[in-house]
Amino acid sequence: MDYKKDFPIFKQRPELVYLDNAATSQKPQAVLDSEKNYYERLNSNVHRGAHFLAEEATIAYEGTRQAVADFIGAGKTNEIVFTRNATEGINLVARSYGDEFLNEGDEVLLSKMEHHSNIVPWLQLKERKGIVVKYLDIDDDGQFVFDGSQITSKTKFVSLTGMSNILGSIPNLKPIIEAAHEKGAKVLIDACQLAVHSPIDVQELDVDFLVLSAHKIYGPTGVGVLYGKEELLKQMPPFMGGGEMIQEVFEDHFSPAEIPHKFEAGTPNIAGVVVMKAAIDYISKIGFDQIQKEEHELTEYALEKLKSLPYLSLVGPKTSKNRGSVISFTIKGVHPHDIAEGLSQSNICIRSGQHCGQILMDYCDLSATARISLAFYNTKSDVDKTVKALEEIYQYFN
Amino acid sequence: MDLYAQNILDRYKNPFYKDKKLDAVINHKEANRSCGDKVELSLKIEGDKVTGYAFSGNGCAVSMASADMLGDLIEGMTKEEILKLTKEEIYAMLGIEISIRRSKCALLGLLALQNALLSEPRSWSDYHI
Ligand SMILES: Cc1ncc(COP(=O)(O)O)c(C=O)c1O
Repeated sequence: MDYKKDFPIFKQRPELVYLDNAATSQKPQAVLDSEKNYYERLNSNVHRGAHFLAEEATIAYEGTRQAVADFIGAGKTNEIVFTRNATEGINLVARSYGDEFLNEGDEVLLSKMEHHSNIVPWLQLKERKGIVVKYLDIDDDGQFVFDGSQITSKTKFVSLTGMSNILGSIPNLKPIIEAAHEKGAKVLIDACQLAVHSPIDVQELDVDFLVLSAHKIYGPTGVGVLYGKEELLKQMPPFMGGGEMIQEVFEDHFSPAEIPHKFEAGTPNIAGVVVMKAAIDYISKIGFDQIQKEEHELTEYALEKLKSLPYLSLVGPKTSKNRGSVISFTIKGVHPHDIAEGLSQSNICIRSGQHCGQILMDYCDLSATARISLAFYNTKSDVDKTVKALEEIYQYFN
Repeated sequence: MDLYAQNILDRYKNPFYKDKKLDAVINHKEANRSCGDKVELSLKIEGDKVTGYAFSGNGCAVSMASADMLGDLIEGMTKEEILKLTKEEIYAMLGIEISIRRSKCALLGLLALQNALLSEPRSWSDYHI
């Protein structure tokens, strides 16, 4: 199947080989149409107008909330909070839940393969409250090193990635979530990378919080989702103050609105939220079965091709087992930045550097890696072109 | 593949000042964490002149070649002259077009050099990049 035809950028730039999907995905026509449609036909503020247009915009906005709830298996729409991005969702939880319920000496457990956005908010909480931040080690397959002992009665919060944006590995979360709950700790899953490769069921996983960004699942930039269990969101104080999030305001006090609006201060990214539904509908139309089949095949193909280059070292799992289509590597004698530059000159977009994962880089004793991240719309020919360019780059430097 | 101009590739592959021994008076390190490049400079100072230059580090061809070529550029310069060096002079020294995305690679050596001589360190924004 030629899925690229669904994505106008490949028509505008026929030579483009886009292998930087983990940074942000390309957008299908349906998403672009939805954005145009919103501004042409619906544009209005939400939740605050007595007129028909505001009502229609509000219905569309809330329609995405339902679509997101269905997409991640949430039981109730009031468990879905719209943010700017996944990063804001984690900050919201660290600020609101963290400041309210965590105290000096309490432990927050992360892993060494977290994105900076799932580390820094907890280090900031450490600065404010004196909590202790601990990290799970990572094994050669990119899995968490976990035997139960890392979660104790001191552990109050566990915040982990559902898929590494560097290693591509998909860790086994179930036993950790169970162990955390046994000790009364709450769990947040950063599903930024996972959400585009795999169906998610928050109830089945029994997570307390989960975050993702629309722009990585074929949607627009500027929209993120925070899922939180209803009883937790209700207990949490608001994050930011302003319009939309209040019930009543007096000179010396206010009362917050109900969830989820309590956490959506100010005019939200209405267009972005509305458009996100088109992205979810697009994914549903293709279907995760198909997406996973295509991506699995592409990942196997890419891994085999890359392994055939003797001077290339894969960083992370060497097989397609328990992983998504993100592959990091290094090449002997060529800095990752030069790899990316060389590929860029061949119209191939990849990422190089530390990928917002300095802790993992230091842990693996690497200064940087090159990373290709495939989406189901990529092709074996994209991989072939990349491998050919990599061979040329190696020759150039050696 | 014709990635960089020959002068850049040559200086990257066969640097002159890299890992040279120097009884240095000043050591200074700068890193560009976003891409993982690191430059550590050693300078020998006599009076107001910089009389010795060496560096170690790890990075892309542009950052390493630039740090190496800097050693030639500042030969005989005073501290004051070094502090006046601009990004344009570095780009001219490299002799290739530097895109915005590579500007930090090109200027990492200069940042390390100028900050080695300053008590109030400069940052990227001082180079308007
Ligand atoms: C695993 C992971 N977590 C969090 C983020 C942050 O996403 P955003 O910048 O959209 O908030 C990313 C994005 O690179 C990511 O890959």
